[in-house]
Amino acid sequence: MLRVDAIQSVLDRVKDEPIISNLGGTTFHLHNLSEGRDANLYTWGAMGLSSSIGLGVALAAPDKKVIVMDGDGSLLMNLGSLGTIARQDPKNLIHIVWDNHQWAGTGGQPTHTAGVTDLAAVAKGAGIPKVEAVATLEGLEEAFNRAMTEDGPWCIVADVEGGDKPNRPEVSIEENLQRFRRTFGQV
Amino acid sequence: MAWGEEIIQGLKDADCSLIGYVPDGITWRVLRLMEQDPFFHMVPSSREEEAVGIISGAYAAGKRGALFMQSSGFGNCINALATLNIPYRIPIPMFIGMRGGPGEFNMAQIPGARAIPGILDSLGLQYFNLTREDELPKIIKGGIELCYAGRLPVANLLSTLLTGGRDA
Repeated sequence: MLRVDAIQSVLDRVKDEPIISNLGGTTFHLHNLSEGRDANLYTWGAMGLSSSIGLGVALAAPDKKVIVMDGDGSLLMNLGSLGTIARQDPKNLIHIVWDNHQWAGTGGQPTHTAGVTDLAAVAKGAGIPKVEAVATLEGLEEAFNRAMTEDGPWCIVADVEGGDKPNRPEVSIEENLQRFRRTFGQV
Repeated sequence: MAWGEEIIQGLKDADCSLIGYVPDGITWRVLRLMEQDPFFHMVPSSREEEAVGIISGAYAAGKRGALFMQSSGFGNCINALATLNIPYRIPIPMFIGMRGGPGEFNMAQIPGARAIPGILDSLGLQYFNLTREDELPKIIKGGIELCYAGRLPVANLLSTLLTGGRDA
């Protein structure tokens, strides 16, 4: 499964739900596939924190499904977040991990998931109640459809191919936040 | 413990209800009161930078909060502040229980705590040294106002002169 197709598949299944994207390729793909979508919050730094930011959004907006698009290298930097999410138990949080088994933005060095580390097992062990590991587009779509209708919190670890090189978009960070906040009625 | 009650009142007046924290012996004296208060939603976190992300996300969705940590934990926040809060202009009131001051018994707590004002200066973030109870109402209320007006984190450094330190 290509990450770009996987992200498009999620976009095909949402309306105005907030999406928080991990720095690097996921932010680039999400922006390039859905430029002008105000409910996207792109991160450009704060490596590891996209799931934490998503948890904050989910706690602030419990009536909306909140989608995080994380990466394996980033989640490995903040595994404690899984325990914090499980303890807070936000029913509306859908945490997707695009697991390409590499630090793609820095030259494709293999991460721990290229070896023995299983992030879905880690998520289960942290206490996340709904965990799915998927390796095909069909599997992702089935899991995501359930996540959009059933209570979570969810963690969907999606095996994707590495090596994609999305174009880096021009984004005004401050404007991105302001547009995102306006979708919540904030100035 | 009037200083803790002043902090709680200041946060309530500014509608800062989501509290991210990693506990420490100083700020816990405030946090345990907040844990009992239904106004606050408490988010104990595994690491301080994680709490920065959570409270920042909540702000992005229109909910205000605050952070509590020990001075040693501030070191865990620097990248989040530098790459998230400052470029995006995300305000968060921060309350830091200072170690490394008068009465410190642990050598390992001293260098990091001493470095905090310099780090905050380098980042361009404003901070206040809270040492006296009579100054607290103005500094806490005013600091929170400043935080949201400037749309940047503001740090309140809770001195051992105020708190009595960890074992007081």
